[in-house]
Amino acid sequence: MNASPYTRRHALQSLACGFGSLAFAGIAQRAAAAANPLTARLPHHEPRAKSVIFLFMQGGVSHVDSFDYKPLLAEKDGQLLNFNDARKIANSGKREESTQRVMKSLWPYAQHGQSGRWGSELFPEMARHADDLTFIHSMHTEGIAHGPATLFLHCGSTQFIRPSMGSWVSYGLGTANDNLPSFVSLSPSAGNGGPRNYGNAFLPPVFQGTGIGKAGTPIIDATIRNLTNAKLSPAEQRRNFELFQELNAEQLKKSPGDAELEAVLASYELAWRMQNNAPDVLDLNKETEATKKLYGIGESKTDNFGRQCLMARRLVESGVRYIQVTYGDNTANPAWDQHSNMPKHKDHALAVDKPVAGLLEDLKARGLLEDTIVWWGGEFGRTPYAEKNGTGRDHNAGGFTVWLAGGGFKPGTSYGATDDWGHLAVENKVHMHDLHATILHQLGLDHEKLTYRFDGRDYRLTDIHGHVVKEVLT
Amino acid sequence: MNMSLLLNWKRLVVVTTAGLLGLSARAADAPDGTEFFEKKIRPLLAEHCIECHAIGKKTKGGLALDSREGWMKGGDSGPALVPGDLETSRLITAVRYQDKEFRMPPKRKLTDAQIADFEQWVKLGAPDPRTGGTTLSKKEINIAEGRKHWAYQLPKAQTPPAVQDAAWPRTDVDRFLLAKLEAKSLHPSPDAEPAALARRLYFDLVGLPPTPEQVDAFVRDYQSATGNRQSAIAKLVDSLLASPHFGERWGRHWLDVVRYAESLTLRGFVMKEAWRYRDYVINSFNADKPYDRFLREQVAGDLLPNGSVAERQQQLVATGFLTLGNTNLEEQQKKLLDMDVVDEQLDTIGKAFLAQTIGCARCHDHKFDPIPTRDYYALAGILKSSKTLEHSNVSKWLEFPLPLPSGEDKQYVEHDKAVAKLTASIKTAKESANKAVAKKATLPSGALDAKVLAGVVVDDAQAKKVGDWTGSRSTKTFIGDGYLHDDNQGKGAKSLTFQPEGLKAGKYDVRLAYSPGKSRADNVPVTIFSAEGEKVVRVDERPDPPIEGRFVSLGQFRFEQNSAGFVLVATEGTKGVVTADAVQFVPVGQIAEPSGTADAAKKDKPDTTESVKKMEAELKKLQESGPKRPMFMSVKEDNAGDTQVHIRGSVQNLGAKVPRGFLQVASYGPAPVIPEKESGRRELGEWLTSRENPLTARVFVNRAWTWLFGTGLVRSPDNFGATGDVPTHPELLDHLAVRFMAEGWSVKKLVRELVLSRAYQQASVAADVRRLQPPQTSDPRPQTQASQSLLTSAATGQEIDPENKLFWHANRRKLDAEAIRDTVLQVSGQLDLAQGGPVLKPGTSADYGYKHTDSRRSVYSPVLRNSLPELFEAFDFADPSLVVGKRSDSTVAPQALFMMNHPWVMEQSQSAAKKLLAEPLADDRARIARAYRLVLGRLPTDGEVTIALKFLPADSAASEAAKRADAWGRFYQALFASVDFRYLN
Repeated sequence: MNASPYTRRHALQSLACGFGSLAFAGIAQRAAAAANPLTARLPHHEPRAKSVIFLFMQGGVSHVDSFDYKPLLAEKDGQLLNFNDARKIANSGKREESTQRVMKSLWPYAQHGQSGRWGSELFPEMARHADDLTFIHSMHTEGIAHGPATLFLHCGSTQFIRPSMGSWVSYGLGTANDNLPSFVSLSPSAGNGGPRNYGNAFLPPVFQGTGIGKAGTPIIDATIRNLTNAKLSPAEQRRNFELFQELNAEQLKKSPGDAELEAVLASYELAWRMQNNAPDVLDLNKETEATKKLYGIGESKTDNFGRQCLMARRLVESGVRYIQVTYGDNTANPAWDQHSNMPKHKDHALAVDKPVAGLLEDLKARGLLEDTIVWWGGEFGRTPYAEKNGTGRDHNAGGFTVWLAGGGFKPGTSYGATDDWGHLAVENKVHMHDLHATILHQLGLDHEKLTYRFDGRDYRLTDIHGHVVKEVLT
Repeated sequence: MNMSLLLNWKRLVVVTTAGLLGLSARAADAPDGTEFFEKKIRPLLAEHCIECHAIGKKTKGGLALDSREGWMKGGDSGPALVPGDLETSRLITAVRYQDKEFRMPPKRKLTDAQIADFEQWVKLGAPDPRTGGTTLSKKEINIAEGRKHWAYQLPKAQTPPAVQDAAWPRTDVDRFLLAKLEAKSLHPSPDAEPAALARRLYFDLVGLPPTPEQVDAFVRDYQSATGNRQSAIAKLVDSLLASPHFGERWGRHWLDVVRYAESLTLRGFVMKEAWRYRDYVINSFNADKPYDRFLREQVAGDLLPNGSVAERQQQLVATGFLTLGNTNLEEQQKKLLDMDVVDEQLDTIGKAFLAQTIGCARCHDHKFDPIPTRDYYALAGILKSSKTLEHSNVSKWLEFPLPLPSGEDKQYVEHDKAVAKLTASIKTAKESANKAVAKKATLPSGALDAKVLAGVVVDDAQAKKVGDWTGSRSTKTFIGDGYLHDDNQGKGAKSLTFQPEGLKAGKYDVRLAYSPGKSRADNVPVTIFSAEGEKVVRVDERPDPPIEGRFVSLGQFRFEQNSAGFVLVATEGTKGVVTADAVQFVPVGQIAEPSGTADAAKKDKPDTTESVKKMEAELKKLQESGPKRPMFMSVKEDNAGDTQVHIRGSVQNLGAKVPRGFLQVASYGPAPVIPEKESGRRELGEWLTSRENPLTARVFVNRAWTWLFGTGLVRSPDNFGATGDVPTHPELLDHLAVRFMAEGWSVKKLVRELVLSRAYQQASVAADVRRLQPPQTSDPRPQTQASQSLLTSAATGQEIDPENKLFWHANRRKLDAEAIRDTVLQVSGQLDLAQGGPVLKPGTSADYGYKHTDSRRSVYSPVLRNSLPELFEAFDFADPSLVVGKRSDSTVAPQALFMMNHPWVMEQSQSAAKKLLAEPLADDRARIARAYRLVLGRLPTDGEVTIALKFLPADSAASEAAKRADAWGRFYQALFASVDFRYLN
């Protein structure tokens, strides 16, 4: 590589920089106050975790069939009883109960681990890790349909254009790596908000999530956009890069020391480094067979999600702050959305159970779980009664379960509860805003202080809401 | 005093009286009451309420419960309780968890005993010894006080100030700027070199670079007009303003501001008529439509008088503005959705036209600006009086047929007739064919094999049953082995789910086969769950099924590949026997099933007869080639009336009704009167564009300034409120605003005035200018070596005004995404300069993964919210869901990766190389020079030539043509990737 003066200088500088490290507002630059927005920033308080892996179960996994044990459902199975159905109420605008047929869990429950957490046979592998998990059974959120609820899950708003959580985290903490993005979304869904779910909205573009692959397409060949060049040989690519930088250096002779223009050169250097390093991080062939097996890679049912999970671990290791792994698709009724045919849940469970358990085990074995938050859950849960007395369950934003592991969450515990049916959260309720606030807290960020001024208003991920749920933290 | 205040005050009186009554009534047992409070209520309040509801603590919802005065005054929703009256006491309904939206304490319901204590307390008249407490005094917005903010003062005509250096200014704009510079002992920079100025003007006015020939022509003109350079510049400016590309460039600026897009994030719904609005905007800028009229048309074009059909068309299409928001149509609470739509419209109108953050006043009075909630709902009432969405599970925007000159719609009528006729013939032919096949295939028992039916059939045998269903063959017409019925028992507890397997993506006619008869139910709820959401259809099962005596159509629905779609037959609310035999999914618009299936039964399938096939082909052709009735997106006057204040923005918590109206703080003189039966959008347009509106003209001239100078006179172009920036040159801003209105709101005149200022024509200087020479500002000679002559002044400028707020030099700016793409295409010879019309590929039903392959100018690239062109995403294109007056300006690695590796960049570079090599140029040096002029608008330096020659294979016969072209392509790619291409000087 041509060792021009800026190359050396920036090589040093960019040790603290990340993907797109040099996004500068022109004005700030000219004021010579240019600070790299992705430079690692001091948190508000001592963090308990460095990164987040969010395993998104798109479509709404059923809590009453998985981790929220409600014996009453088996007892009253098939009975027609009155419930406050959220969709009916929203549609009619009238607060009336409606008759619904109670449907028991299709999978029997048992207690697991020393902590005795309840889990059904839907997720036997995850259940083995019960002692590592913190269950929040009293989740509730906004949005009765996927579109609104999915946006709320990611951006804290059902309707307005808001930055996604990973963008907020990048904005708050900067990056912790040298040649990768700080926020990655693996196999994001095009549906139900699509890019908005990893978008920066009004935050500077540098905080946008980087998608790798897309839902519905195997992750095996997926990579970061434009990271590779199909037409040129490596030697030609190197020669091209050198030519770019030589010509740029020549152009910069007219305005030496111009930081704004040097930033363009530095962005090429960074791109070049990424091009040479990132593929290694994404290359699962570097892993042992044993590790791959742990994630279910090579088995037809689990191969794809196993790869996603293993990639997530490699990204965490490389200092990526926020990684979302989506199990879903691009349809209007994604993956777990069993409005009919509840047994279909098992197909999805088979695809994710082993990879998720493998991820937990692997993170633990490598000592990464301590400062990585693993968050498993969907945009909402499902009703304890059958939808229209059919064979599936409708959405349920009023009560559902998520679990968290690592990152200072109390292992082997449960918090909060839904009513006896598993319908509405009633005890120690945790709103999605609260969960956001709590995860930010563990990363060292105060959700009330993590603000960005846009068009005259200070915006937050949690709007004007949210409490840190201290009870689930060690 | 406003209405809501009055109401509160009245309530307060009532409460106080009730309180007094209560006091006197329980005077006798007062000690008991106090004791009850102390024993039961005080601890309850302390433990469960005070944390969030006390003065000095959180006081959520404006409610304090730490004193008697606190709950008497109440919070945003009124008094917390009415002594003695359980049912109207909000505190009681809240602790009872009666209302889902309003439950306290929020985390956990109190025990029944605790709730009973609260009830007892209220029944007792709510004895509370904690008197003398302070209450939260709500700060009322003082409009008169608020009006003192600069932006709400009417702009005044200004006399240009006197300046010392009288030779420098060319226009009044210059005089305003120079006076400020002189006050700081600063000098303007020298004039830009003519070639740089030409490039700047071309990009700024038409968004394309000048060709080397155009630059040469201008420079010649400029240099020969020694006496009057300005006339040479004016000549170029006028020709660019007259160019049809002016509207493309300036229209795109406007599209940034109005969050223009052609699809919604939700499900990638494509708004296939949105392009008409885009073309309307471009045409308006080209025609120099007065800006006031331009705005009035966008908010109320449908309500304006019009002279011709063409004018009417334009005005109708303009209202598409109101419908472009990125709305979540799936929101189930439709009342909330309506208010969200109104909010989005208001937010856009507020920011785009007025630079006001009106949306902040939806839930509470604006925290910083003098916009009370009342004003928000006064405006909301106007927008709420029009319908923007048609509601269903997934609501839909509205499209209407564009009115046509009389006689012109004849072709559509005829076409529609022809289509209808053919469709009917196909239907008849199919039905008789189907009947014939069915008849042939029907066994003596009455059974018909499902396999012979078209499309995908789910027989009742495959349906998932809930509850007891009885199989029957009593009625002799059925599919498969019989049909099912519910025995007219167990209503509501039974259902049948028909789940099709392996449905291909597409639209289907969904049909239910049932067994008819007098005993049948007449309102069987059948739910169709498709990609369009869920829809419930009520089927009357008494009459014979209309299709082939077996089926009734439930409608046409879109299903996704391997979707979770299904049809559910329920019994809830039915009287009479519910039957179901099968559900059939017949593809719509598909001519025939793909042949080659080995299934013998398929051969007998209906719908595949030659004549039907032929007719279907004909229909397809007719539909594809026939005239398409033009449609446009708009809103519709509907249910005109005032709206109530939504307390805390909640649709469940309504306050006082507010008469429709406008922002009080920005109103001078009498507001336009809104007729009772109309929405008031027309009056909104009048108010917006009134000469007495202090904001509208200022906001637009500032936008124009921002687009031309890189930063505005007000640096927050979308926010003129208290949290925005103050103008650096308030007098100049006023001067421009007043002139803009006086000159008939002509955008072209405004742009002309700005670019003909000497300030605009200054040289841009690099960030580090300390070594440069001082300018000789009164020297009329051209500053050909500008950079050599900037020294001391630049050094001073850099020190005194590093952000260039005083405009002592032109700002170096980044080329935006469109300019990058259009320039690359122009250089490669691939740019298609065709104007207007739809560009989106026909048949695009969702925007997911849309492939942008056209080579039209970028303003025509479909703005798809889930699939922006990759180049747009990388290079800071405006977020099409937000009002963007000034785009981000980033330098990030993905841009570098795009330039290094994106196939499009490489292909265009190769095309550019081929084009260059075909030109009759003397040698490689000449080619390098040509390439530099085409891409960067300048000649290469010696150093650059050396680098290029080193990279390119020698210009000898020895180098193969292909290899040579390839190397030149890569050289072009390097130019596109270079710093000088990214920046406009």
